[in-house]
Amino acid sequence: MVLPTAISFVCGVILRLALFRSSLPDWLSTKTEVVTPLTSWGRAMEGLALHREGISPYSGDIFHESPLMLKILGFISRFSPNTINLIFVLLDIIQGMILLRIANTFGRHMLLRQATSVKNYHPDAKKNLLRKEDLMDLQFYVTVAFSFNPYSIATCLARSTAVFNNIIILLALYQMLKGNSFLSAVFVALAAYISMYPIILCVPVAVHYFLMSRKGGMHYTDPTAVVSYLQILGVTFMSLAIMLLFSMLFVGSWEFIPSTYGFILGVPDLTPNLGLFWYFFTEMFEHFRTFFICVFQINVVIYTIPLAIRLREHPTFLFYMLLYTIGIFKSYPGYGDVGLMFALLPLWKHVYQYMRNTFVTVCMFLVCTVFAPIQYYLWIYAGSANANFYFAISLAFSTAQILMATDLLFGFLKREFYLHNGDKHKLPDGTDAQIILDS
Amino acid sequence: MASDNANLPGGKITFLLFFALVNFSFTIGIHNDNFSEELYVKPFSSGHVMFHFQFTTVWNVSIDKPESFQHYHLFPKSLGDVLTTYKVKELHLSQTQGLWKHEKWGYPPEDAPPGDELWVWFQPHSGVDQTWADLVNALSGLFCASLNFMDSKSTVQPRWSFRPAGLASEFYSANSRFVRYSTLPREVVCTENLTPWKKLLPCGSKIGLASLLNSVKIYDGFYHSLGVHVRSVCQDTQCLTPATELKQTLTVVYDPTTNKNGKQDWSFQSMFDRTLQSQCPLADTRKIYVDVTTQETLPKFSLSPVPDFVLNQKRSGEERKIAVYQIGNHLSPSSLNLKAMYEEKLTFSNSSLPPVYANRFVTGYGLERGGVTCMIYNTMSSNTTVIFMETVPWFLRVYFSSLRIENDGKEIKPYKINFIPAKDRANPYQMELVFRLFANSVTKITYSFERAFLKWTEYPPDANHGFYVSSAVVSTVLPVASQYTATSQSVSLLEESFSDSSSSFFLRLHTETLLVSLPTPDFSMPYNVICLACTVVAIAFGSLHNLTTRDFTASDPSKRKGLVAKLKSFFKKEKESPENKPDSKEEEIPSQKDKDNSKSEEKDSKKKDGNSET
Repeated sequence: MVLPTAISFVCGVILRLALFRSSLPDWLSTKTEVVTPLTSWGRAMEGLALHREGISPYSGDIFHESPLMLKILGFISRFSPNTINLIFVLLDIIQGMILLRIANTFGRHMLLRQATSVKNYHPDAKKNLLRKEDLMDLQFYVTVAFSFNPYSIATCLARSTAVFNNIIILLALYQMLKGNSFLSAVFVALAAYISMYPIILCVPVAVHYFLMSRKGGMHYTDPTAVVSYLQILGVTFMSLAIMLLFSMLFVGSWEFIPSTYGFILGVPDLTPNLGLFWYFFTEMFEHFRTFFICVFQINVVIYTIPLAIRLREHPTFLFYMLLYTIGIFKSYPGYGDVGLMFALLPLWKHVYQYMRNTFVTVCMFLVCTVFAPIQYYLWIYAGSANANFYFAISLAFSTAQILMATDLLFGFLKREFYLHNGDKHKLPDGTDAQIILDS
Repeated sequence: MASDNANLPGGKITFLLFFALVNFSFTIGIHNDNFSEELYVKPFSSGHVMFHFQFTTVWNVSIDKPESFQHYHLFPKSLGDVLTTYKVKELHLSQTQGLWKHEKWGYPPEDAPPGDELWVWFQPHSGVDQTWADLVNALSGLFCASLNFMDSKSTVQPRWSFRPAGLASEFYSANSRFVRYSTLPREVVCTENLTPWKKLLPCGSKIGLASLLNSVKIYDGFYHSLGVHVRSVCQDTQCLTPATELKQTLTVVYDPTTNKNGKQDWSFQSMFDRTLQSQCPLADTRKIYVDVTTQETLPKFSLSPVPDFVLNQKRSGEERKIAVYQIGNHLSPSSLNLKAMYEEKLTFSNSSLPPVYANRFVTGYGLERGGVTCMIYNTMSSNTTVIFMETVPWFLRVYFSSLRIENDGKEIKPYKINFIPAKDRANPYQMELVFRLFANSVTKITYSFERAFLKWTEYPPDANHGFYVSSAVVSTVLPVASQYTATSQSVSLLEESFSDSSSSFFLRLHTETLLVSLPTPDFSMPYNVICLACTVVAIAFGSLHNLTTRDFTASDPSKRKGLVAKLKSFFKKEKESPENKPDSKEEEIPSQKDKDNSKSEEKDSKKKDGNSET
């Protein structure tokens, strides 16, 4: 499978390069589904223009990148527009490379985990086990899912700065799979530094770190376990604090905090996107605004707790599920987040057979992706539709993502059940039993 | 650039004295203040006629000393109290309806933007923002205008465009900490604003020139502008002691050609529906001036009654003839009905353009992005430096990187830029640019913006009407006085500026206001949106809650029931509970279906199913 992988990888790069020569990038860079106020290239350039003029980019409300991104983007923006396009293709190539490594390591990681826990499996579950050949194909599928994923391509073409965030999250996942938990925690801190929400990813990293060092049947609430969690949390928060301190020294004041994290938390910009926040807070009654902002922000992170408890044996899947909850419920979601989810989806292809709503979900994704720009055009330019049309699409898109996430979780849990209990279940009277969720 | 600044009004601290003032102060005796009323009439070649009323009170006390600002005579106490309470040094308020057409009418005596404009220099003290907030509320009550809406969202501190117009030290006027500027472009000016304005006059509105101000006819005009200007001036030539000047102006422009058979005939009777019956006894100067420069060119006109004398006004670059009337000479035997009779109909011709003028408009389409273009025309044969100031509300996100100044396709580098980006719902974009206008050329300033999406409560009533953006302000110093009618900075009265020998003329221009539409949400939907968005969150929360808190178990598919059976069992339970004993008849029917199980088992499993389906 090395040759098809290489071919699809190269095809993906050529596709991006070719599309950069079309008028598509200009169109995409104005699409609110693709770029958000946080990741827009145009806004970043405005911040840099102010910075060069000696005006603090954080004194206005256009630029919301972190100081480190200001530095990186300042470096990139020195090149000519064509070179900048090439840099964004290069960033996508880097993403693809990390994804290949992840696919490779993930296969080994899964086989290793299967080998250690196979003794607990039901004898009937033998045919459900992962085989080496299947996992060899993973690299190919992941490459295809990334190279020809319209969401990733759109993010790259629109020169969305979400690409940086994605690279760092992928690096965190890669280091976690490799077993470098501390390095992974540092990458999680970096991702949190850029876009805040990924801070919850330190939970799967901490669980993974504990699982690696676990001896015997040590329980999750043992003091040793707690110490190992605290180690990872300590590394994450320490590195985050150091980054913030350096940022302060770089820009000279703390005013970037309200302009970046305050902007993410307070949701002052109600530009439409495919998330839940914008129209909800446009139409919110002023009395309840603060309350509902708290509710919606807690909603993003609260799923960490039940998922971490339920998926305590599977930190990698927990990591992936948390990417979903961030991508669906964050205050300014864009296609960059969706692209990341789809690129990593083939890792769980052994779960697909247990999923129930794939067809509905895929249809919803297709319809929403096609209709979102149309409804936006009808509302903003043609004037023949209103905000509700676009809102309907954004609700449907969020629902599609939720369905996909919950379906995947359902499939994963069902597979785990079959592995441990076999897939043939007989009632005492000899008839086939049905497997249902029960309290 | 420093020299350009020095030419601006704030740069000058010493002013020439006007001799009349000294004379008046003697005649008044115990009261050290005097009052003048003047009317300036100017017919335009476009057929319009301008009437500019100017009422000037000069009080020989300093506005900086509140203890001396106590014994009011001619100066209005209601305004004086506000000025001293809020530590005002200089105040300029204009309330305007309509747009002054610089290309057709030249420059007005007091340039004002459509809507309300207020700029104030405060005496040095801390907490100027709070004082400003209190002041606009007080003025709002005094002038019956919505000045209280001049909050931080529309207030700026101009650095170069608005220097003190009166006496001020160089050190003070160089610091923009004490100046506040704000406009209300949407404000409608009407008779409710004229009435409190008239009440400030010492003679009221029943006597003197102010008796001509018939609000029914004034608001018939093409353009009208009310002004209140308070500043410090010199008492005498030595300028050792400052005095306080209050200048109330009213400019109104009519088009008499529309109902005078194409002739530009005008008279007090036809324009104001009144004649002048009396003069204000408190006033020292009571004069009417009519610009008769074009009297001998076609179409010729004659004035009646005949003026007392004709004055030759010579300002650098322009000579004008002014017919002067002492009101007192014309009131007997009958009242004064000043009129101009034209011999022929008006022939429309290209009027000569003023030296510098500007136009501004919105570009782009759709409700997402847009731009603003301002064209500044220089018709002089010499270069000049201008200060361009623009205040843009925060919901039009101005991209500084898109700002371009072009002349003939060549980009011009501004000498100085003062750009303060907006904060959402806190302060507006403020832009001040200093650059060179080349001789006989058009300079184009462009920038683009992105429209913000507002909360539904932030839209005004009739949200689809759009949002107004206040006028841009162009300030410059002209070397010639062509079409320039403003009072000189150094004097108080119109009369005195007719004998002006200075060679530089400070000019402030206001461009058009802009009307920009913003995308609107559906205002009828708040409940629906809250319900729908919360439903989607509930789908996620419910599913994840189910999946993370439950385990898979094996169950008998034959025990799982359809919807109808579930409903049945649900209602049966409801029935059972009040009676507190099982109904034997109903119990039998399900038990016949599942013969394998006993009755008690059946009940248990039903309960279990009911739970698991939630």
